[in-house]
Amino acid sequence: MSLKRAISAAAIFSIIVPTGLFMSAAGSTAATSQVTFLSEDVPAGLDYDGPSAAIPASQVGMVNLMEPLVYYKKSGKSPSGVNLLKYGYAPTDFQGRLAESFTKNGLVWTFKLRKNVVGCNGEKFTADDVIYTFARAKSVSGAAPIGYFLSAVGGIKDFATFDGKVPLGDEVKKIDDYTVQITQGAENKLFLPALTIFGLGMFDKEGMEAQKTAKDPWSHDYANTVNLPSFGPYCLSKWTKGSEFVLTANANYYGGKPAVAKIVLRKVPQSANRLAAIRTGAAQLTERLTPKEFASLKGAKGVSVGSVVGNESLFLNMNFKVAPWDNVKLRQAVAYAIDYNKLIKNAYYGQAKKWKSLVPSSYPGYSVPSTQYTYDLAKAKALLKESGYVDNGSLKLTYVAEKESTLGPVVTQIKADLKALGLDIQLDPLPQTQFGDRQLTKRDLPFAVNDQEKPIGVDAGYATYLFFITGGLNNMDNYSNKIVDDTYKAIATEPDTAKRNAGLATIQEQLAKDVAWVPVVEFATQWAYSSKLSGITWHPDNCVRFFDLKI
Amino acid sequence: MRRYVLRRLAVGVLQALGITIAVFFVIRALPADPVSRIVGMNPTPESIKQARHALGIDMSLFQQLLTFLGFHGDGVFTGSLGKSWVSGATVLSEIAITLPTTIQLIVTSFIVALAIAIPIGMATARRPGGKLDKGVFGYGLFAGAQPEFWWGLIFIFVFYFKMGIAPAPLGMLDPELTAPDAVTNFVLIDSLIAGDFTAFKSALGHLVLPVLTLSFLLVGPLLKMTQQSMSRVLSSEFILYQQASGLEKKSIGRSTLRSALAPIITLTGILFGFMLSGAVLVESVFSLNGLGQYSVAAVLNLDFPAVQGVILVISVISLFVYLGLDLLLAKIDPRILVK
Repeated sequence: MSLKRAISAAAIFSIIVPTGLFMSAAGSTAATSQVTFLSEDVPAGLDYDGPSAAIPASQVGMVNLMEPLVYYKKSGKSPSGVNLLKYGYAPTDFQGRLAESFTKNGLVWTFKLRKNVVGCNGEKFTADDVIYTFARAKSVSGAAPIGYFLSAVGGIKDFATFDGKVPLGDEVKKIDDYTVQITQGAENKLFLPALTIFGLGMFDKEGMEAQKTAKDPWSHDYANTVNLPSFGPYCLSKWTKGSEFVLTANANYYGGKPAVAKIVLRKVPQSANRLAAIRTGAAQLTERLTPKEFASLKGAKGVSVGSVVGNESLFLNMNFKVAPWDNVKLRQAVAYAIDYNKLIKNAYYGQAKKWKSLVPSSYPGYSVPSTQYTYDLAKAKALLKESGYVDNGSLKLTYVAEKESTLGPVVTQIKADLKALGLDIQLDPLPQTQFGDRQLTKRDLPFAVNDQEKPIGVDAGYATYLFFITGGLNNMDNYSNKIVDDTYKAIATEPDTAKRNAGLATIQEQLAKDVAWVPVVEFATQWAYSSKLSGITWHPDNCVRFFDLKI
Repeated sequence: MRRYVLRRLAVGVLQALGITIAVFFVIRALPADPVSRIVGMNPTPESIKQARHALGIDMSLFQQLLTFLGFHGDGVFTGSLGKSWVSGATVLSEIAITLPTTIQLIVTSFIVALAIAIPIGMATARRPGGKLDKGVFGYGLFAGAQPEFWWGLIFIFVFYFKMGIAPAPLGMLDPELTAPDAVTNFVLIDSLIAGDFTAFKSALGHLVLPVLTLSFLLVGPLLKMTQQSMSRVLSSEFILYQQASGLEKKSIGRSTLRSALAPIITLTGILFGFMLSGAVLVESVFSLNGLGQYSVAAVLNLDFPAVQGVILVISVISLFVYLGLDLLLAKIDPRILVK
């Protein structure tokens, strides 16, 4: 073949043909009433008792397909216009959703269920669906029984042994087709908050039972792989795992047909691509950009950024059972050595604030302890000297490797701050699964940065129970203090909110004194979206509810 | 020939199984427990025990191996690769979705890369030391050192963001389009089967930048191999004899190419096997739900069944690719079979 022909053939093939294909594929016009939502991932499963329930992307699917019995009320907006919810414990703090009304008499709650609620399968919601949901939870048949756990958190009677051997009894009782009674074992303010969480969404009994098998009587496989029969505002129309999750509006939704007819949730792992797609209008909503990327959208035409400091926070945890971190002076030295304002400015681009306690500031029961750690290098050095610790360069700061784009600037600055203190820290990125294993199961991580703990029960007491009680479920630091344990025990069943909050304040004061964690920042949960989109609301699971949206 | 093929297949199947069993043990030696990811919200001893039972890792290693192979129900010997510990779906169904995406990407990339590399390689072999030869030398060095994900992002920035002539890097189809019914799971083929030419054009258009990215790097080694192989054959005695005999240039070119193809085909096969999981960075940049992304996610999530399944599938595909290549080489050069 001649040289000229060779080049011509290559040119035709590699330039002209692709251009033609580009022109046909680029610049498609968006269908009306559709929102394309780009995220790091799409739901891996839809069974909240299944292996993917802890994955935030899976929770997005669950909360938009399911409906709870009760939920919080909307109240106010953040400075950037994101709708907020009001949190509390009293029945008046909640609105009925699938339950039209609810009353309490002693330890017995009576729920009057909403009539004429129709699910995506055309089935009507009745008390049988509630019984099915709690019976399924009590069966402990899924890989990760969140339903049982939340029922226990809410103090429902006889949800304690976690063995699945005792079927559902009178603790959740059908009175008639539209009346259910749920009995608590003891007073527990977390009952209604627990019912709002995705892990106690109501299943469509008929839809689920139609898919049961002898090996899988509770249809876990079906919910993990095909669909989630429920009574939510959206119905699943297409699901390609690892790629796409498409929802269409449930025209029969009791709350009215959703304003956005179709939601296309696409997995776009690269945040730079999500940013580009939002800027060009190829997508209408995205999340989980880096702080720098969100900052770059300031003033961008046709794009808004909604932000709220909710329950996302960054802290340092230092293991009380791993030397030298059992030395409180060393812990305090580290706490005083962090330049918090510089971190907020450089790593978060101002989209964060100093965290003053160890529970989210948006949660009921939050209080600001008198012991506060601010940047004071001289004090930090004095404390380090008092601690008697001499650095030998062996200390490592562990963080989740997959979060390099957001945590990279954070750990780099912390390393520099601690170097100024006199501690030569090595950075130790670990894959997420390994990090979780060492933190939650083995509990042997000496020193780590963590930005993914969001107590799912909206309550400072719940956060205490999870993280700081001796042997607590997520007590990653092996922290133990009798004052905290005894105070928590006293307030766990305290019905008086003022007394309860006073106890929680005592706990938070002690946690600060002991440097149970070094609270660094509370950072903003943010979304970037088309200026034509409105209605974004912050929910404590940080999942967008598509029913809130208007376009 | 038939005996050769059967022997190769038998040995290959044993090799694939051996690799998978080795991987079975290696991944279980990793210093992390997969249940921590599942029980994250509720890591009580009871829930950890429940999760370990649900995943089947409360059994001994030997029992787990027997279960995996299919001695206690469905397993490899019955055509099952188990269920993903992340999604709960069967590994086979997830690979059936992801593998076609990767194959579409790398087959198209190889077609483009070979269509560029072979003609130019032939041309430069005819004129050694010329401007094109020097350019190819430089390009070969340059392309071999490039990170493909970086070029992918550059192409997106230039062609999509700045020039607006490329589609958004949001997967294989525009979000507004409904994917055709999955028959083969190859979007290009399924859209043709469904007669959905809008989806076909969209899928092809969305492949352009990823293919450009991959072929940009594949062209380098293929070009060098073509050039060197052609040069070697051009200086051989039988070509000199053909030239002395006054045969047409076209005819000489055909027989030169035929003799030079063997190393090119071998290199193509090696690169193809590598690309099955090696295209992960390009898949990630362009949001393509391919096998590379699936396998990396499986490793990071300690999703043992998925890791085992991917290894087995890639081993089997490599087996068939190499066998196919050997048969093609035997067709081109019958002396190979005699040897």
